[in-house]
Amino acid sequence: MTKEECILEVRELSKVFDADTENEKGVLKDVNLRVARNEFLCVLGPSGCGKTTLLRCIAGFEGYEGSVLVNGQERKDPGTDRIMVFQDFNQLFPWKTVEKNIQYPLKLQGIRDKAVLKERTEEVLRKVKLSGQEKYYPYQLSGGMKQRVAIAKALALKPEIILMDEPFAALDAMTRNELQDELMRISVEEKCTVIFITHNIQEAIVLGTRILVLAQGGKIVVDEKNSIRRPVTPASEGYGATWERLHSALYQ
Amino acid sequence: MEEKKRRMHALVARAVFVVALLGIWEYVAKSGMMGEKSELIFPSLEVIADAFIKNFVQGFAGMSLWVYIGNSMRLLLEGLLLGIVLAFLLSGLSMVSKTFYDICNLVISVFDLLPGVALLPVVIIIFGVKPGVIVFLVVHAVLWPMARNVLDGFLAVPQIYIEAGMNMGLKGVSLLWGVYIPAATSYIVSGLKVGWARAWRGLISAEMIFGVASCPGIGLYINQMRTNMNNAEMYATLVVIIIIGLVVQYGVLSPIEKCTVKKWGMSR
Amino acid sequence: MLYKNKFKKRKGDSIMKKHLRLLAVCLGIAVLAAGCGNSGQAQEASKGQEGTSQDAAGQDGAAQADSAGGEAVTLNIAYQYGLAYAPLSIVKEQELIEKAYEEATGDQVKVTWNQMSSGADINTGISAGSIDAGFMGVGPAVTGVTKGVGYKIFTNLSGQEHGMMSNDENIKSFDDLIGSSNQIALVNIGSFQHILLAMALENAGHDPHALDSNIVAMAHPDGMAALESGNVSCHLTSSPYIFKEREEGNLHEIQDVADAWGVDGSFIVGVASEKMHDDNPELYQVLCGAIKEAVDFMNESPEEAAKITCEFDGNSEADELAYIQKSKYSIETSGVFELASFMARTEFIENAPKAYEDLVFDNVTGD
Repeated sequence: MTKEECILEVRELSKVFDADTENEKGVLKDVNLRVARNEFLCVLGPSGCGKTTLLRCIAGFEGYEGSVLVNGQERKDPGTDRIMVFQDFNQLFPWKTVEKNIQYPLKLQGIRDKAVLKERTEEVLRKVKLSGQEKYYPYQLSGGMKQRVAIAKALALKPEIILMDEPFAALDAMTRNELQDELMRISVEEKCTVIFITHNIQEAIVLGTRILVLAQGGKIVVDEKNSIRRPVTPASEGYGATWERLHSALYQ
Repeated sequence: MEEKKRRMHALVARAVFVVALLGIWEYVAKSGMMGEKSELIFPSLEVIADAFIKNFVQGFAGMSLWVYIGNSMRLLLEGLLLGIVLAFLLSGLSMVSKTFYDICNLVISVFDLLPGVALLPVVIIIFGVKPGVIVFLVVHAVLWPMARNVLDGFLAVPQIYIEAGMNMGLKGVSLLWGVYIPAATSYIVSGLKVGWARAWRGLISAEMIFGVASCPGIGLYINQMRTNMNNAEMYATLVVIIIIGLVVQYGVLSPIEKCTVKKWGMSR
Repeated sequence: MLYKNKFKKRKGDSIMKKHLRLLAVCLGIAVLAAGCGNSGQAQEASKGQEGTSQDAAGQDGAAQADSAGGEAVTLNIAYQYGLAYAPLSIVKEQELIEKAYEEATGDQVKVTWNQMSSGADINTGISAGSIDAGFMGVGPAVTGVTKGVGYKIFTNLSGQEHGMMSNDENIKSFDDLIGSSNQIALVNIGSFQHILLAMALENAGHDPHALDSNIVAMAHPDGMAALESGNVSCHLTSSPYIFKEREEGNLHEIQDVADAWGVDGSFIVGVASEKMHDDNPELYQVLCGAIKEAVDFMNESPEEAAKITCEFDGNSEADELAYIQKSKYSIETSGVFELASFMARTEFIENAPKAYEDLVFDNVTGD
């Protein structure tokens, strides 16, 4: 990919937990990764391979060696150019309504115009199909609805990259399928760049335009374009073969 | 419906309890079981009720009990505000600096154990003799339990809120204000409850020992009634103290709770 | 969850029934309390028949009655701390009451000494019937008698020096204090010292309450510390604090206060419940006699007395002797009625005594 296309670059990233103690544990070693604009990158990997840690390093929540560049600029601290959507349903502030949860980071960005805020909120809520739910407090919402709000909140900020750490893993199968469909639709409409961590092969194939499989130490064992025609269903041509290939890479 | 019934039940139960308690009091007072001078040391309810009115109409030294209440409340409010601000300052700084946290923890543990009244002689020598001493003791009463609660609340803030806040670009003071404080509200409210009760009690006991006649408060009034053997007036003043306590509990603290943690589903 | 379940179970009952049950519980408590009260009354009644303080019904008394072969008698005395109470240390240490009672009646008396922190506490104790005799400032004693606590003064105990010291050169008389924000520390509002201030003000031609809002209530030692550190400008106190303060070069005295009430005036008096006076005259006589004996001893051989009392007062023997010699110990009251009349006139008390005899028992002499 060209320099203009590359939105995120990870260079020689290493992460060690409990450095210089007997519990020292290397999680990531010299990871190199380039993500192109508008890519929907799904990262698969066995538990403990460091995929969540990689995402947290990119988000700036962890210290690490190496560098993370967004549009060629080095980033060490968290920022609104990389918005994280967590797996935990309780990522919304319980003391704010749905509407305020979405507007608060916008206000921090310096957007004070009430009309603009209202318009932006309505727009993103419409996208996640939660129109009219502005005034509810998070405790009044179901898990799926909370994740929709979290996605809406991320979209409203128009970040360079949305980082998603298994956001649907704790949902029931039906809700998960529904949210996958919507996320795919939104990602196409919005032309946003997403890094999506999952341990679910089906999810990766359905959502990803590019799929990565990590082994222990964050070693990239598979890195391929997902060329199956969208929308992907298990009946799509090439689905079975891709599934087999990813599965064997995952459990080799 | 169920909720309404439950509330009704609680209300009636309390009313019955209070009436029964008053009945016992009246029985004890009227039976003369407290000795020959029963009516003097254990006055009946009518006498206390009369004294209650007399406290406000006649008062002591030409001043109605209102004046004494006003003085006490003013000192109390000053002390409470100062104590709360300081509690936030201490806990806030503790979240920023690990060294400060260690020191703060020790200071809270040590000073929380000291009864304010025991500090009185030292306070007088350092601060002099003015109503400010009472304010100081109120601050002492409210600061430590409040700081302890706020600090515990900060430490209990889920990591995910902090990361979400950092992700939005909050850091330092803005993170404290935007995430830590609202997320710790239930701790802060319970700190307020404990702090208020301690401050109210501390104020009255301080005033009973250390009376500044130019700014006489409720404690001084009680002491005065005791010295003059006006026991009915003294009991009536205790009733006033209870009423003020209940008004603050149900008129101020409960609404705060209702508008925050209860509304946000953080507490039932 | 538990609470909820419990509640559901009860759902069948009507609200009325629940309330009845609650009422029953409360009534039960009331009945229990009443039961205790009745037994208390019974005890009170038996005391009444057999004479005050005769605790024949009590277990203590019964045990002692066996050993002495007669009725055991108890006497509860309340007193306070300090030099002004020195004769009581003699009475207590030499067991004067116990000895005299046995001599007079052949029976034992059990004397209990309770140290209390204020005259108000002793007043409550006597009116509740748990104290038979007490020693306090003449101010609270007059308050108690006129309030109808049920006691009278049975003896004078001591007179002490009082005075007001200032640390501010500009304060020379009351004129410099009235209307100013200078603060006067004294032990309590409505205390003897407060009455003294009012008296001195009146003598100097001022409103007796002119300095009320300048008062700060503080215990004697705290007041002394506050005066020395400059936190208050005046301290109105009694011996031995006034002696200590007079020795300090940078303090000077406002003379009006010392002139208003000298060492000859009554300061500490003894009060005895009317019940004891009426029901057990022998014990009452013994009590009066014991106080007289101790007071005489203090006056005749102060050196001996100082040896005994210095330990209780926490002074060196030499200091104690000096203080004793500056005090006046007497069983004859002085100026009590005058003081009571002043207190009534200046609204420290509500009911004015008509005569000296209203305040004291028949045996007391003085004015």
